[in-house]
Amino acid sequence: MRVRPVVIKRLLAASTAVALLGGAAACGTSSAASESSSSGKPVPLVVYSAQGYDKAVTQAFQKATGIPVKLVDDSTGPLLARVQAEQANPQWGALWVDGDEAFAALDKQGMLVKGFAPKAALNSAGKAVQPADKSYVPTGLTATAALVYDSTKTPKPPTGWQDLLSAAWKGQTGMNDPSVSGPTYPFVAGMLRQLGGDSQGQAYFSRLKANGLHVYQTNGDTLHALQTGAIRLALIQSSAGLAAGLKDPHIKIAYLPKVTSLPSVIGIDAKASAQVRSEAERFASYVLSAQGQHVMLTGDPGGDSLYWPVVQGVAPNRALPELSAVPTQAIDPYVWGPKEGRINSWFTSTIVR
Amino acid sequence: MTQQITESATDPDAPRTPGPARRPSFEPRRLAFALRRPLATLPWVVCAVALLLPVVGFLLVALSPRAVGQGGSWFTLDNFRQVLSGWTAQALLDSLLVGIGAAVLATAVATALAWATERTTLRGRALWRLLLWALLLAPSYLESLGWSWLVEPQGVLARLLGHNPTALYSVVFGPVGVVWVLASRGVPFAYLAVAGLIRNMGREFEDAARTHGASRLATVRVVLPILGPGLWAGLAIVFAESISDYGVAGTLAAQAHFPIATFAMEQSIATFPAQFGPASAMGWLLLLLVALALYVQRRSLRGRSFAVLSGRTRPAVRSRLTPLRQALGLTGAIGFFGLALGVPAFGAAAAALLPSDGRVSLSTLTLAHFSAVLHSGELTGPLGYSAALAALAACAATVLGAVAGRALARGGDGRSARALDMLLITAIALPSTLLACGYIFAFNLPLASDLGFNLYGTSSLLFLGYLAGVVPTSARLLSGTLGQVNGSLSEAARVHGRRPAAAWTGSVLPLVAGGLVWSWLIAFCGTLLELPVSQLLAPPGQEPLSVAITKHLAGYDLGGGAAMTDLVVLGALAVVALALLLLRRLNPAAHRLEALT
Repeated sequence: MRVRPVVIKRLLAASTAVALLGGAAACGTSSAASESSSSGKPVPLVVYSAQGYDKAVTQAFQKATGIPVKLVDDSTGPLLARVQAEQANPQWGALWVDGDEAFAALDKQGMLVKGFAPKAALNSAGKAVQPADKSYVPTGLTATAALVYDSTKTPKPPTGWQDLLSAAWKGQTGMNDPSVSGPTYPFVAGMLRQLGGDSQGQAYFSRLKANGLHVYQTNGDTLHALQTGAIRLALIQSSAGLAAGLKDPHIKIAYLPKVTSLPSVIGIDAKASAQVRSEAERFASYVLSAQGQHVMLTGDPGGDSLYWPVVQGVAPNRALPELSAVPTQAIDPYVWGPKEGRINSWFTSTIVR
Repeated sequence: MTQQITESATDPDAPRTPGPARRPSFEPRRLAFALRRPLATLPWVVCAVALLLPVVGFLLVALSPRAVGQGGSWFTLDNFRQVLSGWTAQALLDSLLVGIGAAVLATAVATALAWATERTTLRGRALWRLLLWALLLAPSYLESLGWSWLVEPQGVLARLLGHNPTALYSVVFGPVGVVWVLASRGVPFAYLAVAGLIRNMGREFEDAARTHGASRLATVRVVLPILGPGLWAGLAIVFAESISDYGVAGTLAAQAHFPIATFAMEQSIATFPAQFGPASAMGWLLLLLVALALYVQRRSLRGRSFAVLSGRTRPAVRSRLTPLRQALGLTGAIGFFGLALGVPAFGAAAAALLPSDGRVSLSTLTLAHFSAVLHSGELTGPLGYSAALAALAACAATVLGAVAGRALARGGDGRSARALDMLLITAIALPSTLLACGYIFAFNLPLASDLGFNLYGTSSLLFLGYLAGVVPTSARLLSGTLGQVNGSLSEAARVHGRRPAAAWTGSVLPLVAGGLVWSWLIAFCGTLLELPVSQLLAPPGQEPLSVAITKHLAGYDLGGGAAMTDLVVLGALAVVALALLLLRRLNPAAHRLEALT
């Protein structure tokens, strides 16, 4: 078959244009391309993080070790979406967000480095959330869901989860949508667990909805509803409630028995090069070091720094009660992680709608 | 031989006998000729890379997840079965109805507004145009936030009235509120699609109708079909923009438990594990809705010519309004902008000027949030980065939009024009998050890395992502402007000895310069605060402006985030004012054409 000259001309023109475009692309700040070729010299460690103190920690780590860090700082949802979309060719070296259920699921998919644990002495709370295969590293603890209320409007808050179903609290309770808010699924899963299983827990949330439950998108939305008086009880992550309490002393927190412990977690990409993996391990070790813990506790004092440390000898911020005084439970992420999609879908179609 | 002929042609004194072989000297003209075709092809390659690859990449997930590394199945229809049942099916139906309602309402309001500002002596015309830009700048979530602050329980109205405005709350947080916010957001798009036509359409059609005894209604019936391309372009753009909007779906509609397709799609991606397959299937179905809209548009315009602007066109004379009509016109304009712009402006101002606890009283107003933002320096880096990318994307979108818009305008019923039209409207109809996922699927495949095509994780890909978001709108808007220009204008200049480029810049450019500048401004403003693409495609180590603002809002610093938004919107408004001022100064021909009375 003879190809017409005009077709050849068009193909040549298109290929030249692609070359021009490629040249323009090469002018961009490429991260991936330049990382794989060097030997021995530190390569940038790409950290995907949703922690309020991540900028302070990565800068301190870079200063302490000389390893350059490129930070992608965003909310948990977009970061996890990005990680999953990159599944075929991951670009991150370390992932640092709240909640170990997603990490358990990533581990089951073979996306995380196994068998690594920093040489740090974990306290009992830390050991309780450390996975058996050491596929991720817990770095701190918060609780979900804390009961947040305004003491001037609600002098006598409820003391148990069943109280929320009573007529006294009809239309007064708000929480986040677990499909949108990362820390909310562990709360839902924790309720299902402590109420005896999926069907009992789902029945509880259905009754809560019948009693006028409000579902908002994120902590900020739910807290806003609390402050305007649209609701009187907000069920949100403890650090968000404590942060609101620092800004407004009337905002108080109660922990109904039981709340679910929510670890912040670092995972390392299983497909990372040996050098990036080594750097990511040094990063996780640094985070659990005394220096790293100090930066975590001071990096975001009005937000994520309000956590309970998982390293022995490190004290939390004064605004936090003793962890032993909080009625917590830990759920098995390898049981509840794989259920997340199904339970979130049920919540969206039954409770949110 | 070719070399010899070329040399002879360029140098008449050159010897015509073959001499010793020598290296050809560098000739800029020859290089320009050699690069002409690749450069002409470049816009289409950019369109393919920026639009086609990510769209295909994302849509492929629904049918063949394994092809993009998202599952084990090479071909499946399960995702379609899943989304065509239950609440996602309801969400799709809601999106269709909301899109139609918003498109019709926006186009009707925009046409009335365009007629009043372009063809009558309505006072404050410059102000209304500027307010349209302000409306275009305000993200839809800001308007939703403003309404929420106003009508929510214990909100501003409740404190002013002494009781919660329950009835108004149920109206705003429901289909009516959703349609209104989307329609008001769509009015600038529809306005830009029809205003140029109304401005440039000669008065001879109205005069002819009135001369033959037609009533006002009959005259309208003569003129309206001439505006067909602009009206249909406005309807199509607003429909596509409305069904792909997430700002309203994620706020008003979500709180009203009124499911919309974009909300369902975003939830599918935001949840863990992300359900890209069902989201992609919903993307297909949204595209089907857009295809239906385009089909209706095509059928309505088929076989008719709308080239009304030529060398013989006489500029239209503005109708002088009587005091009563002047008052009615002003009431309508003030009412519309008060609702569409005043409410979100109030929301943004209240959020930025009030302390974090949200209590409303004059004594609590404070500039502390602005001061904190300006002193922290958190705004400077992200603003510089996003502004630079937005300016680049706007320049590229204007060039590509003009090329594609011209192809659309001249394409008639050709297959390539229809394919281009479908591609552009597809990119509008797909929510930005999904498009960004498509970029990851398409540009982060191991094969791309193996071939050394490492665009993912660079500012270049973020730039392409921004470009994909604004090129469709630019093209569709410019197709209206460019479609009006009769080819006889530049042909006349060519007959009088002008070279092609000079003929075009001398005869056509002054007429379309306004459209090009407006297109640039829309692209710039639309990109500056773009969030979904920024979240998924920002390179490591860089923080776009919208991500920085969202961090403040998510970190329960509503005041700080609102103050940052306010400062950016004010800065962008200043850019708009400066650009329009420069247009008037540097393009007196267009200025005279527009300002003739």
